Amino acid sequence: MNLDYLWHGFAVALTPTNLLIGFVGAFLGTLIGALPAIGPINGIALLLPIAYTMGLPPESTMILLAGIYCGAEYGGRISSILLNVPGDAGAVMTALDGHPLAKQGRAGEALAISGLASFFGGTVGTIGLALFAPALAALAIGFGPAEYFVLMVFAFATLGSMVGSDPVKTLVGCTLGLMLATVGLDPTSGAYRYTFDEPELGDGIEFVVLVIGLFSISEAINILEHQSKGGEILKVAGRSLARLDDIRRCVWTAVRSSVIGFVVGVLPGTGASVASAISYMTEKRLNDRDGTFGKGDVRGLAAPEAANNATAAGAFVPMLTLGVPGSGTTAVMLGALMLYNIQPGPQLLTERPEIVGGLVASMFIGNLILLALNLPMVKIFARVLTLPNWILVPSILVLSVVGVYSTHSSVLSVLIMLGIGVVGWMLRKLDFEMAPIILGFVLGKVMEVNLRNALAISGGELSILWSSTISQVLWVMALTVAVAPWFLARRMKRLRAVEAKAESAGLPED
Amino acid sequence: MHGDHGATLRHGRIGAAALFVFALVFGWMGSRIEYSFSSDPLGPRTFPVALAVVLAGLAILNFVRPGRNEAWPRGATLVGAIALPALVAACALLLGPAGFLVAIFVMTAGSSRVFGASWPKAIVAGVLHAVGWYLLFAVLLEVQLPSGDLFKMLVKR
Repeated sequence: MNLDYLWHGFAVALTPTNLLIGFVGAFLGTLIGALPAIGPINGIALLLPIAYTMGLPPESTMILLAGIYCGAEYGGRISSILLNVPGDAGAVMTALDGHPLAKQGRAGEALAISGLASFFGGTVGTIGLALFAPALAALAIGFGPAEYFVLMVFAFATLGSMVGSDPVKTLVGCTLGLMLATVGLDPTSGAYRYTFDEPELGDGIEFVVLVIGLFSISEAINILEHQSKGGEILKVAGRSLARLDDIRRCVWTAVRSSVIGFVVGVLPGTGASVASAISYMTEKRLNDRDGTFGKGDVRGLAAPEAANNATAAGAFVPMLTLGVPGSGTTAVMLGALMLYNIQPGPQLLTERPEIVGGLVASMFIGNLILLALNLPMVKIFARVLTLPNWILVPSILVLSVVGVYSTHSSVLSVLIMLGIGVVGWMLRKLDFEMAPIILGFVLGKVMEVNLRNALAISGGELSILWSSTISQVLWVMALTVAVAPWFLARRMKRLRAVEAKAESAGLPED
Repeated sequence: MHGDHGATLRHGRIGAAALFVFALVFGWMGSRIEYSFSSDPLGPRTFPVALAVVLAGLAILNFVRPGRNEAWPRGATLVGAIALPALVAACALLLGPAGFLVAIFVMTAGSSRVFGASWPKAIVAGVLHAVGWYLLFAVLLEVQLPSGDLFKMLVKR
C-alpha cells in the first residue's frame, strides 16, 4: 500500500504555521464542544469564512477546520459530565454514565477516562482513515458518471434510513438542498435557473451564506428558546488521574467502540450521534451483568467517547475519496474545499496529496495536542460552561455578519443569509434537520452533472444507470439500507429515540 | 413542550402544505427555464422538475403523517425570536452608512438585552464587542471592514 501521501502530509502539517493553525483549531474546537449551546458544525460554519478571507491556503483551512471538528468531539464530553447537558449531539450518551460518576465525586477521573478514550478513538479512526482512504480512492477511480449518480442515490438512501426521527423529513431536507443547488447558471446549456434576473444569484447561492444562515442564525434563535434552566455545574473534584484498573477494564470497550465509530463514520450521512448510541448499546449488552450501566460505569463512559471521536475521522473517508461527506460537519468542509474550486473525488489524493495528506497528518498531531490540552487543562475548559448566553450569542451574531460580509462585501448577501436562517429555524420547529439540506446542497451539482453526462454518453438510454457491476452493487446497497429499518424496526426505534432526545434538548447536530 | 397536540399537528400540516406549494412553484418555474441549446439529452429543465416531483410526493407523505414538531414560542420568547433577526438586519443595513463599530454596537447591545442582560450591562457589552471584534478582525487578522460613510465625513472635516 502506498502511503507516500501521508509522509508528504506530515511535512505539510509540521510547518510552524500549520502547527500553530492546528493548535488554534484544537483549542477553539474544545471550547466550542464544551459550550452546551453550539457544536462542531456551528463552529466550523462560523470560522470557515474568516479562514477563507484571511487567504489561508486550502490545506491550512482544512487543518483548522479538522482541528475544530476533532476538538469539539473532545470538548463535548465536558458539559455532558459536569452539567448533564451534552455539548453536542454526539455526546448525549456520554452523560448517561459520565454525570453519575461526577455526582459520586469522581468528575476528575471521569474526565480523564473519557479524554483517554477520546484519544484512543480519534487515533484508531485516523489510522483507519489513513489506510482506507487510498484503497477506496483506488476503487472509485473506475467510477464513471453513471456510477457516481448511483453513489449519490446510495448516500441519500443511507441518510434517509439512518438519520433523524422521520425519514420523510430527512429526505425533504435533502431535496430542498438539491433544489437550492440548481440556482444559478447551468454550465452545459448556458441557461439561468431561478436567478430572478439578480446578477448576484448568477453564480448560485453562496455556500457561506447558506451554511451561516442555517447553522448560526437559526441556532441563535434556537438557543433563545432552549435557555438552560440553570442546571447545577459540578466541580472537577476527586483525583484527576484515571485508575489503572479502570483503564484496563475499558481497553476492549474502547477497541470495539472505535471500530464501530469508524465504520459508522464512513457510511455517508451518519454521524457521531448514531455511532455513540450503537457503541453504548453494544457495550451495555455485552458487559452490563451487574446493572451498573447508567449508574456510573466507566465502560459506559469510554464507549461513546471512543466512538464519536473515531466517527469524526471515519467521516472524512467518503468525503475525501468519493466527494460524498460522511456527516453534516464534513459536508460543510466539502463546501469549504469547493470555495477553493476543489472538487473532492478519487483524483484528489493523486492531484492534491498535500491536502489529503496534510489533513490526515494533522489529525494524528491534533489528537496528541488534544490529549495534552485536555488532561491538564480541563478545569480551564470547564469554565466556559459558566459563559452566559448574553455574551455567547451576540458573539455568534458578530461572527456570522462579519463572515458573510467579508467574503462578499455585500449587504444583500447578509440579508439573504438572514432569510435562510429564519426559514431554517421554522423548519427546525417542524422537526426538520439542517444537515441533510447541506448534504443535498453540496452534492446537488455533482449529482445532476453526472446524471446528464451519463445520459449524454448513452444517448439518452436510461439503462446505463444500472448496466455496470459497480452500479448494480450500489443499487442493491441503496435498496438494502432503505429497507433495513423495517427489519430492524425495534433497534432503529431505540436509536431514533436517542436522537429525538438530543433534538428536543435543542442540541446542535453533528 | 408538546402542550397542545392538536395545534402542533396542525402546524405540521401547514408546513407540509407550504412545502407542496413550493414544490409546485419550483416545478412550474423549472419547466419554463429558457435555453437555446443543450449538449445533453436531459437539458437544464429535467433535474429541477424531477426534484419538484419528488418534493411534492414527500410533502404529501409528510401531510398524512406530520410527526413530531415543537410548539411555537410565545410571549417574551416570541418577541426575542423576532428581535434577533431584526437586530441582524439592522446591523447589515447600518454597516454601509454608519460603519462597523456602530452597527456591531447596535446588534450586540440589543441581543445581549434579548438574552437577559440589564441595559447597563448590555451597553457595556456592546461597546466591548464593537471595540474587541474590531481589534481582532481589522488589526490582528487584517480583514477589510467598512468604516462607514458617517466616519468618513467626520474625518474629512
